[in-house]
Amino acid sequence: MKKDMKVLIVDDFSTMRRIIKNLLRDLGFTNTYEADDGHTALPMLKSGNFDFVVTDWNMPIMQGIDLLKEIRKDPQLKHLPVLMVTAEAKREQIIEAAQAGVNGYIVKPFTAGTLKEKLDKVFERLG
Amino acid sequence: MANPIMPHISLSQAKALVAHLEAEQITEANKIVESIDFSVTSDQIIFEQIGELTRDLHEALLSFNNDTRLVDLAGQDLPDAKNRLNYVIEMTDKAANTTMDAVDYCLPIADKLINDLEAITPSWQGLMTRNLELGDFKRLCHSLDEIFAHSKVSAVDLRNKLTEILMAQEFQDLTGQMINRVIDLVQEVESKLVVILTVCSKENELANCTKTQHNNIEPEGPIMNAETREDVVNGQDDVDDLLSSLGF
Repeated sequence: MKKDMKVLIVDDFSTMRRIIKNLLRDLGFTNTYEADDGHTALPMLKSGNFDFVVTDWNMPIMQGIDLLKEIRKDPQLKHLPVLMVTAEAKREQIIEAAQAGVNGYIVKPFTAGTLKEKLDKVFERLG
Repeated sequence: MANPIMPHISLSQAKALVAHLEAEQITEANKIVESIDFSVTSDQIIFEQIGELTRDLHEALLSFNNDTRLVDLAGQDLPDAKNRLNYVIEMTDKAANTTMDAVDYCLPIADKLINDLEAITPSWQGLMTRNLELGDFKRLCHSLDEIFAHSKVSAVDLRNKLTEILMAQEFQDLTGQMINRVIDLVQEVESKLVVILTVCSKENELANCTKTQHNNIEPEGPIMNAETREDVVNGQDDVDDLLSSLGF
């Protein structure tokens, strides 16, 4: 995976965006951008040549699961890898996300190690 | 409530009946028997019950009218609780950012220490194995001199930032007090609601309203007591197991 890949971090809490941004920076990914919900994220993704999305589930206006579905519907974006980082922990939700085509699912609270492991796994699968 | 069992005839009617029968005045005796209205008593029971319910309702409505706490709760305490909770969000946000600012400040200091030490390690090992040119030895001395001077400043900086991180945790005490006040309020509102539901004879439904609405994909936020619930995962390992069972 390229260290200069362009990453969009989508979360309605600025502190969580900052934590993920810092963790990604520690892993060598410095080309990161932020959005506070799916509704703001989608136009950024459509015009921004992003390589990777990290998104929360529960956000105002457009939730992460809906953002994921929109990404998979869009011919330009459908191959974009999406990692979900969320406090949502119901089995049905995880199944729903998997069926919608999520590439990884991390439940909060999480560790730096988990984020690294899941990132590696996502990009290992994509080859 | 009054005794629901009422006699069908009065004592004087009964005495008159006995007197007529003893005197063999059959027609008069039959008239008394026929005059007894058996329907009155069951009607009376219903009327009394309705009367009792009306009184209860009236009293309940009066007690709600006179309960100024309800007005205070809706008009003052609940908006106040909302402000308190917003304040908690603000405080925790501020503490998280103060802590992350300090960490951002400290990381480059730690990185510089690591790099400086790595840079002199070969010369230092040369010195320890008596395998260092005089020129390199002089350079090593100057590097060490710089590192000593710099390390002291860095250590003081790190110390100050650690204190800042420590002090940023005081939000826990303040927000804890705020949240305790809100918990008290929620408990009071709960008990008032239970009284209202009891008056409306909904208490049975209240007992039956165990966990519903968990069986969908609506966001629920962090899960309390995840280990007691079947429909949620308990940690990342559970998520990974579930996804791999789906062929992920």
